[in-house]
Amino acid sequence: MTASLGRALILLALLAASAGALVGFAAGVRRSAAGLAWAQRLAYAYAAAMVSANLLMVYALLARDFSVGYVAQVGSREVPNWVAVTSLWSSLEGSILFWGLMLGLYVLGATWTNRHRHPESMPWAIGVWLACAAFFSFLIAGPAQPFHTVPIPPSDGPGPNPLLQNHVLMIIHPPFLYAGYVGMTIPFGMAAAALLSGRLGPDFMRSLRTWLMLPWVFLTCAIVLGGWWAYEVLGWGGYWAWDPVENASLLPWLTATAAVHSAILVERKGILKGWTVTLILASYLLTVLGTFMTRSGVFNSVHSFTQSAIGPTILVFLALATLFAVAILALRIDRLSPEGHLEPGVSRDMAFLLNNLFFVLLTFTVLIGTVFPLVVEAVRGVQMSVGRPYFDRMVVPIGVALLFLLGVGPALPWGRASAEQARRALLPPLGGAVVLAALGLALGVRNPWTLVALLFGGYAAFVTFSELWLPVGQRIKVRGEGMLEAVAHVQSRGRRRVAAFIVHGGMVLVMIAIATSSTQGVTVEAQLVRGESVALGPYTLTFLGVDRVSEPHREALVANVEVKKGGRDLGVLTPRMNYYATQREPVGTPAVRSTYAHDLYLSVLNLDAQGQTLGLHAMINPMIVWIWIATGIMGLGGLFGLLPSRRIAVALAPAMAVDGSLSPARSR
Amino acid sequence: MNRKVFVAGLAVTLPLVGLMLVSLGRDPHKVESPLLGRKAPPFSLRPIGGGEPVTLASLRGKTVVVNFWATWCVPCVDEHPVLTAAPQRYGSDVVFLGVVYEDEEPNVQSFLREHGAAYPSLVDEGGKVSIAYGIYGVPETYFIAPDGTIVSKYVGPLRPDLLDGFVQEAQARAVTRRSDAR
Repeated sequence: MTASLGRALILLALLAASAGALVGFAAGVRRSAAGLAWAQRLAYAYAAAMVSANLLMVYALLARDFSVGYVAQVGSREVPNWVAVTSLWSSLEGSILFWGLMLGLYVLGATWTNRHRHPESMPWAIGVWLACAAFFSFLIAGPAQPFHTVPIPPSDGPGPNPLLQNHVLMIIHPPFLYAGYVGMTIPFGMAAAALLSGRLGPDFMRSLRTWLMLPWVFLTCAIVLGGWWAYEVLGWGGYWAWDPVENASLLPWLTATAAVHSAILVERKGILKGWTVTLILASYLLTVLGTFMTRSGVFNSVHSFTQSAIGPTILVFLALATLFAVAILALRIDRLSPEGHLEPGVSRDMAFLLNNLFFVLLTFTVLIGTVFPLVVEAVRGVQMSVGRPYFDRMVVPIGVALLFLLGVGPALPWGRASAEQARRALLPPLGGAVVLAALGLALGVRNPWTLVALLFGGYAAFVTFSELWLPVGQRIKVRGEGMLEAVAHVQSRGRRRVAAFIVHGGMVLVMIAIATSSTQGVTVEAQLVRGESVALGPYTLTFLGVDRVSEPHREALVANVEVKKGGRDLGVLTPRMNYYATQREPVGTPAVRSTYAHDLYLSVLNLDAQGQTLGLHAMINPMIVWIWIATGIMGLGGLFGLLPSRRIAVALAPAMAVDGSLSPARSR
Repeated sequence: MNRKVFVAGLAVTLPLVGLMLVSLGRDPHKVESPLLGRKAPPFSLRPIGGGEPVTLASLRGKTVVVNFWATWCVPCVDEHPVLTAAPQRYGSDVVFLGVVYEDEEPNVQSFLREHGAAYPSLVDEGGKVSIAYGIYGVPETYFIAPDGTIVSKYVGPLRPDLLDGFVQEAQARAVTRRSDAR
C-alpha cells in the first residue's frame, strides 16, 4: 500500500515536471503570461509530489514497513530512529529520492521568490529546472525505484552501512553536499534562460547570483565537512587526499566561485556576460559529472556507491545537458552584448579577471589530474593513479596566486588607478604581510611556500579587515554615530559587500590554516610495550593498555594512551581498532585532542589481542581547528549576504549596489 | 550561431563525456592476478562433511574451476545457483571445487543443505590456500587449464555466460597446447 502510494507520487512528480518543462518552453517562445502561470503551478505540483514522496519514505523507514523495497534494503528494527531517518540518504535509491526532494524545495523557492519578476526569462528558467527534475523523477520511477513492493516482507532488515553510522559528520555531510549539488540546477536554469531570452540585465543577474550563492554556501560547507569526517574517522591524519570523488565536489565549487566573482562585473559594468553564463552552465554540468563519478562505479573511492545500473542513465543525461548547454551558448551568446568595456591597467576589475583566469586554470588542473588515469587506461590499458605530488605541485602555486589576489584585488580601486592611487592602496597592507610572515618565522616556519602563503595571507587579512572597518569608521567619524549604530547601518545598506568580505576573511584563514597544517606538522611512529612512552613535541605519550569493547554492530580494541605535557596530565586518549562482522579488515578510529594551536592526533597502526604492544602513529597537526571555524565563518557570511537588505529592494542601479557610496575613496 | 563557441565547447566537453563512456564498464577494484599463466598453487583439502581430501594435482588433465566463497557473502549466495547448475552441463571434463573462505563449518553445511550442492566444498584450515591464491574478497573464481596453469580469474558473482566464456578459454588453452605438440 505504502509502496504503491510512493510510486504514484513519483509518477505524479514525473508528470508535473515533464508537463511543466514543455509549458515553460512554450511560454518562453510565445512570451505568454498565462503559460508562465501554468509553468509555475506545475513547478509547485512537482515540489509537492516530491516532498510528499520523501515524507512517505521517512514514515515507512520509521514504521519499519519492510514491504517497501528501500526499507527492506536499509531499514532495521535494531537502529535508533535518528539512524532510520538518515538512512533516507545512506543508500543509492534513497539518495536519489532525497535528490528529488532537494530539487523540489529549490524549484519551489526559486519559482516563488521570482513569481512577479523577470517575466521574459522565468518561463525558460522554470522549463529548464523542470526538465532536469523530469530526468531525476524518471530515474526514481525507473532505474532507482525505492518504492518497490516487497511481496513477502522480511521481519527485519540489515540496517544501513555501519561505516556510515560511526560519526555524526557522516549524517550532515551528504545533505549539505546534495544542497550544493542540486542547488546548482537553479543558476543553470537561469543562465540558460538568459541565453534563451537573449537578455542578462543587472536585475536578473542579481537574482541569478543570489541563487548561485545559496548552493555555493552549501557546497563550501559540504567539501569541508567531508574533509572533517575523513580527518576524524579515517585515521591517516589528513583531511584531503585528492580522491576522485573529493575532486568531483571541488570542481563545481571552483567554477561557481569564479562565477560569483565575474557576476559582479556583469552587474557593475555589463561585461563578461557570456563568460559568466558559461561558468554557471559548467558548474552544473560538473555537478552532474560528479554524480556520475560517484554512482557509476568508474572510480574507486570511499565515496562510491556500489556499481549500479543508473550510471549509464546519468551519463546520457550528462551528454544531453552538455549538448544543450553548448548549443544554446553557440546560438545565443552573441545576443548577450556587453554594455561597457574593461579598461586596461591596474584595477580591481583586472584583479577580477585574473581571479577568473586562475580559478579556471585550477579547474582544468584538478579535472585533468582526476580523469588522467581513465585516459591512460582507455588508451594503453594500464592502470595508474595520479597522486598527491601532481596535485601539490600544480595546485599550490595557483592557490598562492589566488591568495595574492585575495589581498591585492579588493585593495585596488575600480576603474583605472593612477600610480599614486595604486601606491596609496597597496602599500599599507604590506604591514599585515610582514607581521604574519615574521610571526611564522619566529614560530619556526621555514618552508618557502608556507612563508609566501603567510606573507600573502597577512596582506589579504589586512585588506579584508580594513575593507570591513572603513565604512564603519567613516560613519563614526563623519556622522558621529556609535560603533553599534554604525555597524548596523553599514551591514544593512551594503550587506552584500559586508558579507563578501566576511567570506573573504574566512577564506584567508582557511588558506593560512591549510598552508600551515600541511607543512608544519610533526609525526612519530612507535612500537610501544605496555607502560612504555614516546615523546612527540611537548607531549609524552604512554601506552597504558587495551580495553575490549563489544558493540551491537562491531567489536573494538581500544588503546589507552596517557597524554602528558611538561609533567601536566592531560588525560587519556583512546584510538581504537574496530572489527565489523561484514568486513575483513579492521577499521581504525583515531583519537584527536584539539586546541586552537594544534591537534594531537593518535591512530593505531597495530595492536595485539592481548593488549601488550601498540603500534602508534602520533601527529601534531597545527591550526586544524581553524579550517573548520573559518569554513563556518564563510558559510555564515555567505548566508548573511543572502538576507534581504533595504538596499537590495530598491537597487536597480548596478553600480550603487555593490559597495555603494559609503566608501567614497574606493567607489569610483 | 557562433561557430567558435560551438567548436570550442564541443572540443572541451566531447572528449570528457566520451572518456566517461569508454570507462563505464571499468572496475576500479580489478587488479590483474600475478598468478595468471603460472602453475596453480597445489592444495589437498578435506571436503565439508567429511570424506577423502581432494588434491589438485590428481585433477591434472581436466579443466578445474575453483570458487572461493562464504555463506556470509551476499554475492556468493547470488552466484550459487549458477555454479550448482554448471557441472551437469559440462560433464566430467570440467571439475568444480568450492573453497570455503573464513566461515564456520556448521554454517556451510546448513547452507548447502538448504541451497543444494553439486560439487565438493573444501575446508581451508587457517586460510592457507586462500593466501596462496591471493584472495582479497569473495567470491573469486580461478580457472585452471588441464595442464595445471591458471588461465583466468574472476572477481565477483559469475553469470552463466561469463562462466561459459572462462571455461571455454581454459579448455581452448589445452587444445592449442595439444596442437602445438603436434
